[in-house]
Amino acid sequence: MIFAVLLPLVLALFIPFLSKFKEKVHTGIFVVLIPLGIFLYFVSFVGNDFSPIHHTYNWIPSLNINFDFYLDGLSLLFVLLISGIGTLVVFYSIYYLHTSENLGHFYVYLLMFMSAMLGVVLSDNVFVLYTFWELTSISSFLLIGYWHHRERSRYGAQKSMLITVFGGLSMLGGLVLLSVITGTTSIRSMIDQVDVIASSGYLPLILVFILLGAFTKSAQFPFHIWLPDAMEAPTPVSAYLHSATMVKAGIYLVARFSPIFVDYEWFFITVSLVGIITLVWASYMAVRQTDLKGILAFSTVSQLGMIMAMLGFGTEAAVFAAVFHILNHATFKGSLFMIAGIIDHETGTRDIRKLGGLLTFMPMSATLALFGTFSMAGVPLPFLNGFYSKELFFGATLLNENSSSIASFLSAAIPYLAVFGSIFTFVYSMYFFFGVFTGPKKLHLLTKKPHEAPIGMLISPVVLVLGVIIIGLFPNIVNGSLLNHAAQAVRNSTVQYTNIHYWHGFEPQFIMSLIVVGVGLILFLTLKKWSNIYSIIPGKLNLNKLYDKIINKTDDYSARITNSYMTGSLKLYMSIILAAIILFSFTVMITTGGFNNITFDDLAEVEIVDISIVLIMVLAAICTIFINNKLSLIIITGIVGFGISLLFVVFRAPDLALTQLVVETVSMALFLLAYYHLPELRKREETVGSSFTNLFLAIGTGALITMVGIAAHSSDWFKTISDYFVETSYTLGGGNNIVNVILVDMRGLDTLFEITVLGIAALAIYGLIKVRKDKEAE
Amino acid sequence: MEYIILLLAGILFATAIYNLLQKQLLRIIIGTVLISHGAHLVILTMGKLKRGQPPILDESVADYTDPLPQALILTSIVISFGITSLLLVLSYRTAKENNTDNMEEMRGESNE
Amino acid sequence: MSNLAVLPIIIPMLAGIIVAFTNKNVKITRFLSKLFSIISLLVAAYVTYEVFLNGSIILETGDWAAPYGIILVADQLSILLILTTNIIAATAAFYAPHSLNIKQETHYYYTFFFLLITGVSGAFLTGDLFNLFVFFEVLLMASYALIVLGGDKVQLRESVKYVLINLFSSMLFVTAVALLYGVVGTVNMAHIAERVAEVEQKGILTTIGVILFFVFGTKAALFPLYYWLPRPYIVPNPVVSALFGALLTKVGIYSILRVFSLIFVYKMDITHESFIWIAGLSMLFGVVGALSTNNIKLIIAYNIIPAIGFIIMGIGIFNQDSLSGSIYYLIHDMIIKSALFLLVGVIAYVAGTSDLRKMKGLIHHYPVIGWLLFISAFVLAGIPPFSGFIGKLLLLRGALSADEVVITIIALLSSLLILYSVMKIFIRGFWGEKDDNKTYTKKVSAGFIMPIVCLLAISVFLGLGAQFVYPAVDGIAEYLLDPQIYIDSVLKE
Repeated sequence: MIFAVLLPLVLALFIPFLSKFKEKVHTGIFVVLIPLGIFLYFVSFVGNDFSPIHHTYNWIPSLNINFDFYLDGLSLLFVLLISGIGTLVVFYSIYYLHTSENLGHFYVYLLMFMSAMLGVVLSDNVFVLYTFWELTSISSFLLIGYWHHRERSRYGAQKSMLITVFGGLSMLGGLVLLSVITGTTSIRSMIDQVDVIASSGYLPLILVFILLGAFTKSAQFPFHIWLPDAMEAPTPVSAYLHSATMVKAGIYLVARFSPIFVDYEWFFITVSLVGIITLVWASYMAVRQTDLKGILAFSTVSQLGMIMAMLGFGTEAAVFAAVFHILNHATFKGSLFMIAGIIDHETGTRDIRKLGGLLTFMPMSATLALFGTFSMAGVPLPFLNGFYSKELFFGATLLNENSSSIASFLSAAIPYLAVFGSIFTFVYSMYFFFGVFTGPKKLHLLTKKPHEAPIGMLISPVVLVLGVIIIGLFPNIVNGSLLNHAAQAVRNSTVQYTNIHYWHGFEPQFIMSLIVVGVGLILFLTLKKWSNIYSIIPGKLNLNKLYDKIINKTDDYSARITNSYMTGSLKLYMSIILAAIILFSFTVMITTGGFNNITFDDLAEVEIVDISIVLIMVLAAICTIFINNKLSLIIITGIVGFGISLLFVVFRAPDLALTQLVVETVSMALFLLAYYHLPELRKREETVGSSFTNLFLAIGTGALITMVGIAAHSSDWFKTISDYFVETSYTLGGGNNIVNVILVDMRGLDTLFEITVLGIAALAIYGLIKVRKDKEAE
Repeated sequence: MEYIILLLAGILFATAIYNLLQKQLLRIIIGTVLISHGAHLVILTMGKLKRGQPPILDESVADYTDPLPQALILTSIVISFGITSLLLVLSYRTAKENNTDNMEEMRGESNE
Repeated sequence: MSNLAVLPIIIPMLAGIIVAFTNKNVKITRFLSKLFSIISLLVAAYVTYEVFLNGSIILETGDWAAPYGIILVADQLSILLILTTNIIAATAAFYAPHSLNIKQETHYYYTFFFLLITGVSGAFLTGDLFNLFVFFEVLLMASYALIVLGGDKVQLRESVKYVLINLFSSMLFVTAVALLYGVVGTVNMAHIAERVAEVEQKGILTTIGVILFFVFGTKAALFPLYYWLPRPYIVPNPVVSALFGALLTKVGIYSILRVFSLIFVYKMDITHESFIWIAGLSMLFGVVGALSTNNIKLIIAYNIIPAIGFIIMGIGIFNQDSLSGSIYYLIHDMIIKSALFLLVGVIAYVAGTSDLRKMKGLIHHYPVIGWLLFISAFVLAGIPPFSGFIGKLLLLRGALSADEVVITIIALLSSLLILYSVMKIFIRGFWGEKDDNKTYTKKVSAGFIMPIVCLLAISVFLGLGAQFVYPAVDGIAEYLLDPQIYIDSVLKE
């Protein structure tokens, strides 16, 4: 199975070589063989006696991340869709995309997507699933941005990436949480541990994490906004990714994980509610569109909402209807997208306002569209598969019984909402067909004279429409061999659903269908009168504007926030760092009782000489703040330095005293050298507030050092290691001056690199001066 | 005595910080000089003060001052000296190139 | 045998000195630099092999027994970081001639470069806290020299700030070492750890630990100490930026990892718990910074901060998974950050600007660079199957098994924003129509690109080939969780 999944990805690497010959042979002709092969491989599994198969290939076994491919009914359904529609779409693209386009890139992205999508639906390992999931987002991003010279393409690509990657990351959070709780990375093992998950207390969080992933990917309200903009992609891509496969990944995810959540009431509430809102909202929005692909995009969103809602119901009937509709939607919507592409291709526009009366020019396309749109509308005709699943859906909405008040209220409302949404589905389906193919001809608005598409371009939609009809006429051929297995996989139990009938009496679902058709017809016929209302509602509730606002504000506010503190002011940087150190250190010192064991026992005696040196130094140090003459400042600083060397003398550190004396003298010399080049000191021009802050920070730091020093000095838990140096200085080190022996022997490494530091400093100074000389020379 | 020296170190740190928070380069550099003095005093004090003779072996002496901090200070003094010299030249060059020794005038533009 | 531990310090140091003498002849200097960086890399690889085969190598310099002399400890953590450092150094050595001008090269660039590597390697290897300070100074001094290389007005201005902030934190470092010495009477890290453990980090010790944390945190550019970082990192030549971005902050975070896994591990509710908050704020402010600008170099520089946030998050949570996550992320980030800095260097070179608003349609002229950037963005954001993902996954696992939900959400959110911040460069700069007003004449030679390709290949390997790396990292995490192993290996008791 791993070959089937990775084959497209590996072969994609060879595409760039193929596109060299594209003038003679369209690259797509080679490419189409790949999905076809995969389809034929998987189709051999279909049958009533299908049982799941499982292959494992190691990847990162130490992290439990392996290619665990698990083919059950649900995966099989998706795999067939991916490879089947994939074949048709690639075939269609051979005629749709001219060889002057950058075909190499197109097919690389498309094959990348194919691998990714196969991986998503076959992986039992959650992290491999996630890997492929993000790969679908990436390839979708690249395909939407395929014509990236267009502003709208770039916009759509970025939008889809941001929203789907956001969802993907959220899903990752859920998957990690699940794997932490259950100690496994396999979805099946997780499902076996439903009790463990339920008792962990994390169920709500997991639900939110996973559903965000599913809702963004499957374009559920309010995350659906990326899908209409994704229509900037070439039409084969829209037909494939953004209607038949990728957008169903979220559906797949919910279906796959539903055994974990099915007993959790909030799963029902969230998924059904979001699904049904999406259904209603998007089918209403579809009626407002003027772009053919826009209608189809919103229609896709609404149909996805319908499937999502059914998964939320979770009953046997609902799940069965959901998987049935996944299949049906792929057939009729795929064909409609291709028709839209054909119309665009042959007339030069997709704007329904410029189209009309095309029936006479494109009779073949019109026939295909007729089947597609009527199936989508759920018109009760026995040869339209859309009707069957739509009616099963209506049936499923009636079966819910729930205990809690929110859930039962929702259950009661759902049938009405379902009918309400479906009415608009009917309206836009009719609008699509009749608006394009009947009515007055508007040839003057077109840039091309419309004519029927080449036969090759029609083959793919013909195949799909044949699917619509065959499934419509003989629904039970897909039932036992495919759908039952899929529904079983979702329910994680046997599903007793054997027969789909066209006619089962005047049951409520049939009446619901009739209402939809009846009211829909009236609304469609009076469409013009309603157009005002369509343009008023939803008015200000524009989610796209909200998205744009968020993106712009993100840039805007981040710039504002960052510029407010990243001022380039050293003083501000220092102040923040110091404030953090002071506050945090003092807090810790107080809370840990660091200052509790202060003693005044073990201290050296104070002598007059010491005290006078200290006093002079304190005075000099404080003077540095107030002096406004640079020479005096340098001298005063020198006094502090020389004071230090005197202290070293007093405290029995002769080597230090000498070194300090030398260094201080040289430093003074350096300062005086630089003295000429530095401007005179100015008075400190500070506001009172700023002085106060400085004072606070200065005293705070000083106090911190003093107090921690005192506390450190007071601790007497350990003897220092210095005795060793005294003992071994002569015997092992061969010197009487212990400090020297430490420096050159015991801690010789310090000294070596201290010299290195000096060396670098010297070279750097040399460099700085040389640069100046060079510049002056120029 | 130790606590007095620690207090002195604290005062050196405080004055150093106060100078570091000024605008003029020279003051800031003076601040760094003071802060290294303060740090060295802390090291010295942590080895306890006046506990014995200077750490030069002599048969008549039994107690020596802790030699390790002295070694550490020596290393540190040299390093500080290196940095201070670099800083001096650097700031002189910077003041020349930017025509100011006021750090607040050397913020740069945002997002340049 | 144990002398092996000093080689990663000595070889670059000697190389630095030798190339200082050949400075006048650029061709020889370049050749020697490449040669030495390769030798150094091979030696580092060999030492790594030895360490993983036979355990930590402890070198008592001058044969003075621990804890009295200075100890070099090549354990798995430090040697892995040294290997990574040498990989980056080698790519930088090959990239440098394409990026620097002759003047910069003859201003002892290569000497400073090798001494920077010396300092970094030393900081990773030393087992002595004061010696760590000395190595910090070596690498900082080298970085001061590198940052002013060329001596532009802007460079000088930013380097003064950079030097001052670092000087301050260095002085605080010495003070903290002294204070620690005042309590435990030793500067050897293993010995400090042993003694701190003995009194269970009571009294003033935690406060000293916190001061040390701030010292390292300033170098590592953690919230709220990172303000100094972004601008100084973009003023020097891209190759210098790459070295800074990949190595300097990482030395800081390594020190935190070392000190807060070995020494200060007894008051975790105060120290490590706060790290998690600091991690979250670093991530948020870092990505906000990255989103705030149109300067492509600055975008990458700001991205250092959330990465550091990810690493400190793992240290804060402090369990097996989170620590392996931190280490994995650390290595990943060193590689990808240098790749990205080198890459934006190339982009700025060919586009003639680093202002994103002035670029468009670059992919028509430079497709290879575009796709390299595209992959880098995903690597950086931790999208599988690249290296960032493994680290992030481990961190998330660690966080969620410790019930840290808030930081998990912040981490996920910042991953998205990190991706957005870099993807912006691709979408706005590379996509789009050909820019007719501009002619792109600058050729990009293979030598300019190869170092980046190598680094990216390693990133991909760290992701796809995680099976070869992760068990080692997991072993290191286990080792870090038990400080006694380190203490025993150094003090041999």
